[in-house]
This record gives sequence, C-alpha cells and structure tokens, in this order.
Amino acid sequence: MKPLLYIFVGILLLSLTIVYYKFDPEMYSFFPECPFHKYLHLDCPGCGSQRAIHSLLNLHFYQAMDYNLLLVLSLPLLMLHGVSKIYHRLTGLGNGLKFWYYPKTPVIIATIVILFWIVRNLPFMPFKFLAA
Amino acid sequence: MEEQKPNQQAPFGQQPFNQQPFGQQGFGNPIPKNWLVESILVTLFCCLPLGIAGIINATSVNTKYAAGDYSGALAASQAAGKWTKIGFFIGIGIFVLYILFFVVLGVGGAMMGSN
Repeated sequence: MKPLLYIFVGILLLSLTIVYYKFDPEMYSFFPECPFHKYLHLDCPGCGSQRAIHSLLNLHFYQAMDYNLLLVLSLPLLMLHGVSKIYHRLTGLGNGLKFWYYPKTPVIIATIVILFWIVRNLPFMPFKFLAA
Repeated sequence: MEEQKPNQQAPFGQQPFNQQPFGQQGFGNPIPKNWLVESILVTLFCCLPLGIAGIINATSVNTKYAAGDYSGALAASQAAGKWTKIGFFIGIGIFVLYILFFVVLGVGGAMMGSN
C-alpha cells in the first residue's frame, strides 16, 4: 500500500510541476485563487506562491521574489530539511535537523510570517515589493 | 543529579536538549513531533492562515518540552497536527473543487458551443 501511495504522489507532483512550468498562473484562469485574497482583497502569507513557483521553474528568480519573497527565502531551509530527512531515511544516520525543536525556532518563524503578512499589505513603496 | 541511562535516551541516539532541567518529569522521553515544517508548508502553499495555528502550537511543543512538561508538549503536538491537517485538507479540497468546477464549466461550454 505504501509504495503505491508514494508512486501516486510522485506522479501527481511531477505532473503539477509540468503544469506550473508550462502555464503562467497570471495568464490562465484555471489556477485556483486564494479564498482569503478573493473575499478580503488582502494578501495572505501564501499569496503569490503559484506564480512564484512558475517563475522559479522558469529560472526567473527576481520575478519569483516579487511574487512571494517568503516562499523563495524559505526554500533553501526546506530543501536542507528534505535532504537531511532523505539522508536519515536511507542511512539511518542523523535524525533530521535539530533546530526545528529549539524552543525559539517556532517563535522566530511565527514572528517572521505574521510580520510578512502585515507588511505586504501596506500600500506604500518599500513594502509594495512584498505584495503578491 | 540524575544520570542518563542509555535505555532512557531518545530513539535514533538523539540526546534530549541541553537546556532540559535535570530531574524533571518527562526526562528521557523523546520530544513529540512538532509539525513545524508541515505547518510552514501549509502556510505557504495552502494559502490559509490555519498554518499559523500550527506554528503557534509548535512553539508550545518546544517550550513545554524544554520546561519538562512532557504531557503538555504531547497535547500541543496533537493540536499542532490537528490544525496542520485541517489546513492541508481544506487547501487540497479547494484546489480539487476549483479544478472540478473548471472542468465541468469547460465541458459544458464545449457542449453548448457544439449545439
């Protein structure tokens, strides 16, 4: 059962990657819009992620940062996490990244996310870059 | 001062954290899963502020564990898992519904067009 699930998720992720590589969510309407943005007309911390992924897959890094800076900045950390998890799974050595379990880590992350959420909705210049 | 016995150590050889006070209850139990990475992913991709509830519960998993409150950390871990999963499934649900809606609309439109 488990391997089948992994294969299914793998195929799903691969096809999503191809769709997000080929189609720009800015141009096509079949990408879902964030409900928070649709009804409140404000950006949430995840708004712009689909466009940012499209830009990243096409190697437009500056464009991706313009759509969602938080996503781009968190990617190296998430990749490091993924690599250490895979290493742990394959070799049995190590135990993933320890700093996720430091008492301060979630506080810092929550602060960054909430600050980002507030600041990206401010309508004047230094912060306009952060809007999706 | 309590001596750490090998059989009380966390699995995969992980030492409980250095800031753990000695002689408190829960000492030697491995820290429960804090769902931090999962809640960050939900915050970034599922487009719902529910991920933030997960991150805040992850905070209390880590601080309660470090303070020696193992059962509190376990409860916070379950709450974090609950919020993260709710956020994840709502996100997936909206995504699937949207795609279905678009497909139905597209098929309907094609049929209308052909008539």
